[in-house]
Amino acid sequence: MATLQALNLLFSGDTELWEIIFLSFSVSFRAILFSAPLAIMIAFCLAYLQFPARRFFIALFNTAMSIPAVVVGLTLYLLLSRSGPLGDLKLLFTQEAMIIGQMVLCFPLLVALSHATLQAVDRRAWETAITLGAHPFRAVFTVLKEARFGLTAAILAGFGRIIAEVGSSMMVGGNILHYTRNIPTAIALETSKGSFAQGIALGIVLLLMALLLNLFLTYIQGQGEHSL
Amino acid sequence: MSILNKQATILKLGDINYKRNKQIILHNLNFEISSENFILMTGQNGSGKSTLLKIMAGLLKPDSFDLSYKQCVQTNSIEKKNSWSAAKKFLRQNFCYLHQTPYLFSGTVYDNIAYGLRHQGLSRSEISHKVSEALKIIALPHLGNRNSYALSGGEKQRVAIARSWVIHPAFILLDEPFANMDKHSRNSAYDIINQLKEDNIGIILTSHDPHSGELDFNRHMHLHQGGMIEKQA
Ligand SMILES: Nc1ncnc2c1ncn2[C@@H]1O[C@H](COP(=O)(O)OP(=O)(O)O)[C@@H](O)[C@H]1O
Ligand SMILES: [Mg+2]
Repeated sequence: MATLQALNLLFSGDTELWEIIFLSFSVSFRAILFSAPLAIMIAFCLAYLQFPARRFFIALFNTAMSIPAVVVGLTLYLLLSRSGPLGDLKLLFTQEAMIIGQMVLCFPLLVALSHATLQAVDRRAWETAITLGAHPFRAVFTVLKEARFGLTAAILAGFGRIIAEVGSSMMVGGNILHYTRNIPTAIALETSKGSFAQGIALGIVLLLMALLLNLFLTYIQGQGEHSL
Repeated sequence: MSILNKQATILKLGDINYKRNKQIILHNLNFEISSENFILMTGQNGSGKSTLLKIMAGLLKPDSFDLSYKQCVQTNSIEKKNSWSAAKKFLRQNFCYLHQTPYLFSGTVYDNIAYGLRHQGLSRSEISHKVSEALKIIALPHLGNRNSYALSGGEKQRVAIARSWVIHPAFILLDEPFANMDKHSRNSAYDIINQLKEDNIGIILTSHDPHSGELDFNRHMHLHQGGMIEKQA
C-alpha cells in the first residue's frame, strides 16, 4: 500500500526525499528572510506615517495578497525567459528564481498582517519612547518589539503561504531533481507519474508542518495576550 | 518666586495655534515657564490640556509657534528655534510627557525605568544604581523584576513617573496623574512629585478639577475656549 511505502520512505531516511524537504525549507526560509525586513518597514510606514497615498497602498497590498501563485509564476517566467527583459540574468529554472517568486507571493501578506499588528500597537508606545529621549530609530525598534508576537505570527503565516505553493515554483523552478525540486512540485510530478508513495510522504511532511506552525501560532498568540 | 537656580531653563512659548478638523483647540497662546515653576494647569475636559502638553513635549506639531529659551540665567543669551524640527528636538530633550494612563513597555519594571538611561552612555552598574534609587523613591523597592503587566494602575503610574525622573529632564509634564489613583497611590505620588521639585525639575500638572488640593503649586494656568489665563496660585 502507498501509505505504508510513504511511511517507510520517511523513516528510512530516503536521501532523495529528505533532500527535497531540505530544499523546500531552504528556499522558503530565504524568501521570508529577504522579504520580511522590507515588508515590516513598509508596514510600519503605513501604520505610522501620514501621507496622501497611504490608503491606496494599504488597499493595494490587501488586493495583492490574493494574486494566484501561477500568475506570479507566469509573470516571472515571461520576465526571466531567455527572450524576456531580464533574460540575460539567466535566472530561469534556478533556486534564485523560486526565491524571487516566493518573495513576491509572501510580500503582500507580510505587509498586510504586519500593518494590522503595528496599527494595533498603542500610540502611547511610540510617544513614550520618544519622550524618554529615544532616537526615532530606537523608537521604531521599540514599537516593533511591542508587536513581536504579532510580527512573528505574520512571518509564520507568510512561511505557511509559500512552503506549500506549487504554481510559481513549478513555472520558474522547473522541478529539477537535486536543484529546484521542492515538496509541492515533487508531489505534483510524482502524482502525475502515478507513483504515490513519495507524494504521500511529502504530503505528510507538509501536514505535520502546518500542524506545528499552527500550534506555534496559537502559543504565540497566547503569549501576546499575556503581555497586554 | 525663588532666586533662579543656575541650571534653570526659561522658555518662552508664543503664538501657539492648533486646529483639529477645522476646530480651533488652542488659539494664540503666549506664556513663559521656568524649570523652577510648579504649575497647575486646569481646564474642562476637552479644553486642550493634553494637546498643549504634547506640543510642549515635541510630540505634536502645532500650526504655528514661536519658541525662545534661556538655558543658563547668567549668560543671558536667548536662543530661538524657528523651524519645527529644531524646536521639536529641543522640546524632546527638555520635556518629558506622562500620559494620563501611562504606557509601560512589555518587560520588567526594571527595563521600563532603565529605558531612558540606555542611550546615555552609562555603565550597567550606574544604570542599576539609578533604577534602584528610583524604585525606592516610588516606594516599590522590591518590584524591579515584576512584569509590567502585573502592576496595578497606581503602581504603573508611579513606575512611569520614576522612569521620567531618572533621565532628569528640565520639565516633566504630568497629564492628570491622579485621575486613576486611589488615596494610597496618591500619597506616594505626592512624595515623588516633591522629589521632582527638590531636583529642580519643572513640573506642569494638569487637572480637570480646579481644586487640586494638597500640592504646593506656585503658578496656576487655566485653559478655556482655546485661550489661557494665569490665575492666582
Ligand atoms: N485623537 C483625537 N481626534 C480628534 N479629536 C481629538 C483627539 N484628541 C483630542 N481631540 C479633541 O481635541 C480637543 C482637546 O482635547 P484634549 O487636549 O485631549 O483636552 P483635555 O486634555 O483638556 O481633556 C477636544 O475637543 C477633543 O475632542
Ligand atoms: Mg487630557
